[in-house]
Amino acid sequence: MKSNFITSLLALFLFAQIVNAQPSYEAAHPSLDVIEDPIQRRAEYMARVNEVIEWRADIVKNGLAEKMDLASVSANLRLGRNIDECSARVIEMMQTPGSGPFWMLPSVCAAFSGKDLLSQEARDAIRESWRTTYQLRGDTENHFAMYYTMLYLMSEMYPNEPGDTWYTGKSSEENLAESRDYLIDWMDLTTTIGQGEFNPTHYIGEYAIPMLYLVSWAEDPEMQMRGKMTLDWLFAGLAANTLNGVLRGPNSRTDDSSVIERWNSLTSFFSWINFGNCPPTKGFSWGNYYGVVAENYEMPEVIYRIATDRDGSFEQRDLKRSRHQWRYSDVGKAPIYKTTYITDDYGVGSYQGGMADPIQTHVWDVTWKTPDPRGLHPTMFSAHPYSAPKGMQAYFNVRPDTMVTAVAAEGKPSYDVADKLVGCSPYEQVFQDLDTIVALYDIPKGTRFEQVNGFFSKDLKNLSEDKSGWIFAQGGDAYLAYFPLAPYHWEAHMRYSRLPSTGNGYRYERIDSGSQVLISPHVKNGTILQAAATSEFANFEAFKKAIRALPLEFTLEPTPNVKMRSLRGKDISFEYGSAPKVDGKAIDYSKWKLFEGPYLNAEKGSRKLEITHGRLKRTLDFNTISISDSVIP
Amino acid sequence: MLPSITILSLLALATFSIPCLSQTTKHDFYVCAAVNKNYVIGSKIVTTSGLHRSDDAGDWQHVGINDPSIFAVSFDPRNRDVFYTAALNGALRTLDGGKSWRIMTSWDITEPKDICVDPHAPDTVYLAHPGGVAVSKDQGKTWLRLEKGLPERGKYTQTIEADRVRKGRVLAGCETGIYLTQNGARSWRRVLQTKETVNDIQQSPHNPETWVAVTQSSGAWASQDNGQSWIPFPDVPSEAALYNITFDPTDPKRLAIGSYTYGVLTSEDKGETWTTRNEGLPDPHRVWRIGVHTDTGRLLASVYQNALFVSDDFGRTWSKEGLEGSAINSFVFLPKERK
Repeated sequence: MKSNFITSLLALFLFAQIVNAQPSYEAAHPSLDVIEDPIQRRAEYMARVNEVIEWRADIVKNGLAEKMDLASVSANLRLGRNIDECSARVIEMMQTPGSGPFWMLPSVCAAFSGKDLLSQEARDAIRESWRTTYQLRGDTENHFAMYYTMLYLMSEMYPNEPGDTWYTGKSSEENLAESRDYLIDWMDLTTTIGQGEFNPTHYIGEYAIPMLYLVSWAEDPEMQMRGKMTLDWLFAGLAANTLNGVLRGPNSRTDDSSVIERWNSLTSFFSWINFGNCPPTKGFSWGNYYGVVAENYEMPEVIYRIATDRDGSFEQRDLKRSRHQWRYSDVGKAPIYKTTYITDDYGVGSYQGGMADPIQTHVWDVTWKTPDPRGLHPTMFSAHPYSAPKGMQAYFNVRPDTMVTAVAAEGKPSYDVADKLVGCSPYEQVFQDLDTIVALYDIPKGTRFEQVNGFFSKDLKNLSEDKSGWIFAQGGDAYLAYFPLAPYHWEAHMRYSRLPSTGNGYRYERIDSGSQVLISPHVKNGTILQAAATSEFANFEAFKKAIRALPLEFTLEPTPNVKMRSLRGKDISFEYGSAPKVDGKAIDYSKWKLFEGPYLNAEKGSRKLEITHGRLKRTLDFNTISISDSVIP
Repeated sequence: MLPSITILSLLALATFSIPCLSQTTKHDFYVCAAVNKNYVIGSKIVTTSGLHRSDDAGDWQHVGINDPSIFAVSFDPRNRDVFYTAALNGALRTLDGGKSWRIMTSWDITEPKDICVDPHAPDTVYLAHPGGVAVSKDQGKTWLRLEKGLPERGKYTQTIEADRVRKGRVLAGCETGIYLTQNGARSWRRVLQTKETVNDIQQSPHNPETWVAVTQSSGAWASQDNGQSWIPFPDVPSEAALYNITFDPTDPKRLAIGSYTYGVLTSEDKGETWTTRNEGLPDPHRVWRIGVHTDTGRLLASVYQNALFVSDDFGRTWSKEGLEGSAINSFVFLPKERK
């Protein structure tokens, strides 16, 4: 069963059509100036928080109280407005509750926002729905995070109540203990072997919102503190993986739109509200549920500065973990080795290839900075469009025959489409050194979709296919060189546009986006990508000349094999199936740390993250459940 | 105390399936059915899914929780108001015939696919789940992971069946084969190796030493020695998954296999030869579950998200029998209660 996230997005999108203007979304790109004064910084943060709440609450002012959802109810409650209308609407909505974490979260938001405001009847209606309506826990990590945080909070709100008053059949105390155990286990995994759904374009909300609710509403001080520390952990990761607020690099989960239009994702809402350095997405999406209590989070200066106050290029290497593999694998949670290299002008990011998640993963890309990211496709990458029932079965407890069709019907339309751009493959291996990527493909004959797809943006300038085999282009202030190891042809990039539902799953039409896809229909294959700043060269020709001069040898049989010198002077050799080498030294992934870079550092298994910027340092220690701040002498 | 021979015999019959019908049947007919098409987590459930029982008029009555994820149900032979389900949230139990429920497992067990009350010790419940095998000896209050002999990787468990005759013997269908315990799950050993998941295991209602199994990619198998050794059925295809297999409790020569790809396969000579029986089923004949009515020998086929179909001539002709839009995960028959 797949999440109903896209349904939620659509509902919020439709909601956005019927209410008033959304100032920050419609305004010019926000200033990128670093705000030095902490009081002003907080004031601007609160202004953004209030914009979300006011916008969401205004549906009543617009005469549409009867259309309030639980986000707009919560926003009105937060503002102390329209309480009678909110109570009436809650009672009405509780007559047909939803069936899982995507309903549990909104209902908790309303329950706590209205704890002292909603009528007794309305509060009873929420409580009764938690008795009568069986809640499905779901099957992904974000489902569990939401499910157990919400069950925890509701059980704490209604203590000492017997099992027959909860859909679980368990008492408040039993629910509380089970939820707490899960959340602590999840935090333990995250702080020892890495995040599961790492760097997600949308699912960051499914973690950040529950953690903020722990901060805001948990009575147990330890769980409050755990929520706060986990929020810091999440947002430190966000800060270090963004450039001007837009998420860069690989994603455990993304979608067909966000992988291309990189700004258009929920992470941009979180960059906007936390750092103020990019526009929010239309309607604030799931972020409405964050905005209601966002005042309860105080963004640490050290994290704010990582996002906004950079001093040159940096490389950050992180250890993450795959979605749990139930079968057909020697390992349950596979390690994921992630690299992000971000300059003032562009970001290059990757993980080492293979399967992080059977759906919606994005393995590597280069993305470039734009004055305003809205509507643009500032990215370049390649991928093998892997689609396999058995691949699904490794991660989902399903029969082999229905899952491929089901995911397409449940909002992942490209899963089984030859020209898809989202998804990882067991037949892709990737190596990154700074701003050089080598992606190799060794696709067994007979695999569905024997091809590699490369994305070329409509927003590129000066795209040219060089006799040398390199494809040159300019994206923003980045020069790009893409070398396909096997012949190819071009096809139009067809984006997915949602159509009205006919009641049997999602429907889409495909529309030419203006971008292109490089289709290379060869099973022994590969892509080399080199990026550089335009400021490094006198002109584009000088960049091309430098690239052409780089030693490059490759073979495709029996396995793809590349030997090259990077623009940064590194001798890289990488054969599919073997450890990549840099200057003759093999990469030893076993020594990869949980975090390693100028901003984030943690040892594997340590439960302790050091966040630094300049002289500022914050340490999150999950061994002692403590935060310590210091200024390095 | 062991249940009586009568109860054991009745329980044996109860493991096989048959549809509803009339007041003349001796068994109550239950199904675990998902009626939601394209359900996704968070959707409002607008249909009624989960456990259904056919009443005397042949109409389906919903029992208990509206849950589209119930895969299997198993009843306590001492008290039919006590039963357990395997569902997305874990193992659930009711003590009052479905009026109230409790999720018996915690966060660390998810999405079990099969559940089996031990007929010799009904406080003991076996659970097949993606992480392996869990056993409760106190009616689901606490659970132990009893997996000695199962591989560390490769123990994804899809199906579990307790021997109705010999105490302590249980067969588990896992990702890497069939595993047998003869000591109540204290230890297991592999009795059949498969490339991919074993999807179903059934014990013959006619001869308890006979067992059959179907797999995802290794075809169908039979054992004549209590599951100790297995031989493949000839003629049964193995390129695509076989979902389940059933005996005909009214005729020892009859067997049937359900498959999303192949539809219905039947044998009327104890598995020596097999015939495809899809004429009259919707095309494509995506059979999600096959069963045979314990009282009548009527063949039952759940066609995925379509309906329940029935055949009174063992698959030669079919007719629609209701449960429109459903996918049935299991058929269960219980002896009717004396009133």
